[in-house]
Amino acid sequence: MATIQTADKAGTWVGIGRETLVKWAPLLVLIVLCGFFAAIEPRFLSTRNFARILIAASPALMVATGVTFVIIMGSIDLSMEGTVSVCAVSFAFCFLWLGGTLASWAWLALPFAMLVGAALGFVNGLIHVKLKIPSFMASLAMGFVGTGLAMVMTGGDRIRIEDELFRSLLTERVLGFPLMVYVAGVFLLIAWFIQTRTTLGRNFYAVGGGEDLAIASGLNVSRVRVLGYTVAGVFFAVGALLAVGRIGIAETATGNDFMFLSVTAVVVGGTALWGGIGGVWNTLVGVLIVFVIGNGMVVIGLPGYVQDGVLGILVILAVILSTDRKSISFVK
Amino acid sequence: MSTFIKDFIEKEKISRRNFLFASACGLGSVAAIGALGPGMARAALTDPTIAWSYRNRTNPYWNEIVSGGEAFVQSLGMTKDALTHLINEGSSEKSLADVKAVLAKTGGNLALAIDTNDAPNARPVVEAVAAAGAYVSTLWNKTDDLHPWDFGDNYVSHMSWSDEGPAEQTARILLEAMGGKGGVVHLGGIASNNPAIERLNGLKNALKDYPDVELLAAEPADWDTQKANQVMSAFLTRYGDEITGVHCANDTIAYGVLEALRAEGIEDMPIVSYDGNPQAVQLVAERKILATVFTNPHWGGGITAALAYHAAIGSFKPSEEPNEHREFYGPTIMVRPDDALEFKASYLDSVPTYDWTDFWGPSNGPIVYK
Repeated sequence: MATIQTADKAGTWVGIGRETLVKWAPLLVLIVLCGFFAAIEPRFLSTRNFARILIAASPALMVATGVTFVIIMGSIDLSMEGTVSVCAVSFAFCFLWLGGTLASWAWLALPFAMLVGAALGFVNGLIHVKLKIPSFMASLAMGFVGTGLAMVMTGGDRIRIEDELFRSLLTERVLGFPLMVYVAGVFLLIAWFIQTRTTLGRNFYAVGGGEDLAIASGLNVSRVRVLGYTVAGVFFAVGALLAVGRIGIAETATGNDFMFLSVTAVVVGGTALWGGIGGVWNTLVGVLIVFVIGNGMVVIGLPGYVQDGVLGILVILAVILSTDRKSISFVK
Repeated sequence: MSTFIKDFIEKEKISRRNFLFASACGLGSVAAIGALGPGMARAALTDPTIAWSYRNRTNPYWNEIVSGGEAFVQSLGMTKDALTHLINEGSSEKSLADVKAVLAKTGGNLALAIDTNDAPNARPVVEAVAAAGAYVSTLWNKTDDLHPWDFGDNYVSHMSWSDEGPAEQTARILLEAMGGKGGVVHLGGIASNNPAIERLNGLKNALKDYPDVELLAAEPADWDTQKANQVMSAFLTRYGDEITGVHCANDTIAYGVLEALRAEGIEDMPIVSYDGNPQAVQLVAERKILATVFTNPHWGGGITAALAYHAAIGSFKPSEEPNEHREFYGPTIMVRPDDALEFKASYLDSVPTYDWTDFWGPSNGPIVYK
């Protein structure tokens, strides 16, 4: 709050003050929410409960991280539900075919699923770029294709993955948290590395911040876009693997709800939908906000339908906070 | 032609009787309207298109329903592709539009099995089918004031399930396993769904006889495994060891609950569920779930199509059947650990070959309105 007061006194600092606020607002919201739930039900703050929240959040965090890259480019990827389903089902089939335990060659199913995710993302990007279909429509359509494909592959059945070694993602705990949480953490660091330490990562911002400029500077924007969707596809696949690890079931419904959860999380975390602003840490905070609300509402005993309402309000608040409305001439 | 002549004589009989009655009362005009109304018998169809209209196949339950429809079509000597699929994806508007389109395409030569997605949509669907002279059997959704017998032969039948009784039975099994004390949580379906409401009511009915058991919480888990997993985790935070039993509204919810418990290293929590999916039956056999209720969706999907088809080709005349043959409950079979393997062998591992002309054998009595 001190920043705002300083900013008010010195007019030239207004921009900086606002930026600081926007930057830290999602984290503040997260802390306030945690404090609120803890005040009503102290058990909310226990390590075991945080482990539960993180178990629930890990698959969605991976999916949201993937879509973050696309949103930073100013595009949107809505294919996650189909991609997650296809990756989960492909993984399950491949895993069982190769032996059904991580101790055998079946571990190859893990990279295979990620390749499937990459391929789907690649096709998704190509359709968007080469056929010049708006990303919203191209990816949504690809999502439906994915769901249909998963349906055809499974015939509507659910595939159980019983391998104890693979399920140790959920059952083995280090410092009170299951392995899948650490796996998600590692991939988040990889995402952060891509975002800050690679040319590709910086190009995402270049495309999202001002595509005309990027083109004028000689950047192959089409290539960056296709790569962005491919990287997103890989992260969707990781999300699918964690989702299967958490429930032990791969099915067409594995991808359900990821679209709403991940796009909400990205926006609530402060990544702007028109691109160029935000990043994977914002997404982490956004995902945590969404899942802290989901968990906290039940923990303090509020009925489920209030959760959706609260999330909706938060999305609007987040967009209000992260938008400098004076700089926008029109909204479409 | 023989059916035509039979129908003709029958029609003559009805109108003559009505005429005599009505003219005795001085209301001859009523008889004329009555004879021309929807109660009028029509000639049967030959080789009608058989269609199933439903949500989609991603849901294991609907997948079972439609596989029953396919089995019925195969029993007629056709390939299963002969069944026309009208997929509404949860939209009542699309459901109605699909029905109208297929009626137009077939010129009314149609035997339709349908879940109209929601109850109000049943009336326009049935009216459209009746107006085209086609035949329809409905499953699950219809309003209480809509009855097959008000549409002569064209609205053949309606089948639904009452879940309150079976859910109460599973709840009693659960409460007994808990030793008649402790705390129970309920994870329900989508809050506004009728089966979700009935299954929670079943639990509440059973709880009246177990004053020492507290219903700690009942939360919707939207029939969804992952949602159930999260809700159960949050319940564990809130109630911890106070939870000594879990009542799940269906099997997909139970899977999520089992995994949430597994994550915490809890292995012996009493759980009951509903639907009798193959995987759940296996878990019952392993005593990880104490009971589930099988509603035989395969038979339900097949027999709904069979009723519409056989009425359409004139194998039987719906208007001559008693009301309990036109609105009836589907079968329910309780699956317990002791008989789970036997049940699995006879119903799931090999799908039994049903006699698709035994329309009412496995059904469960007439529908009762509250």
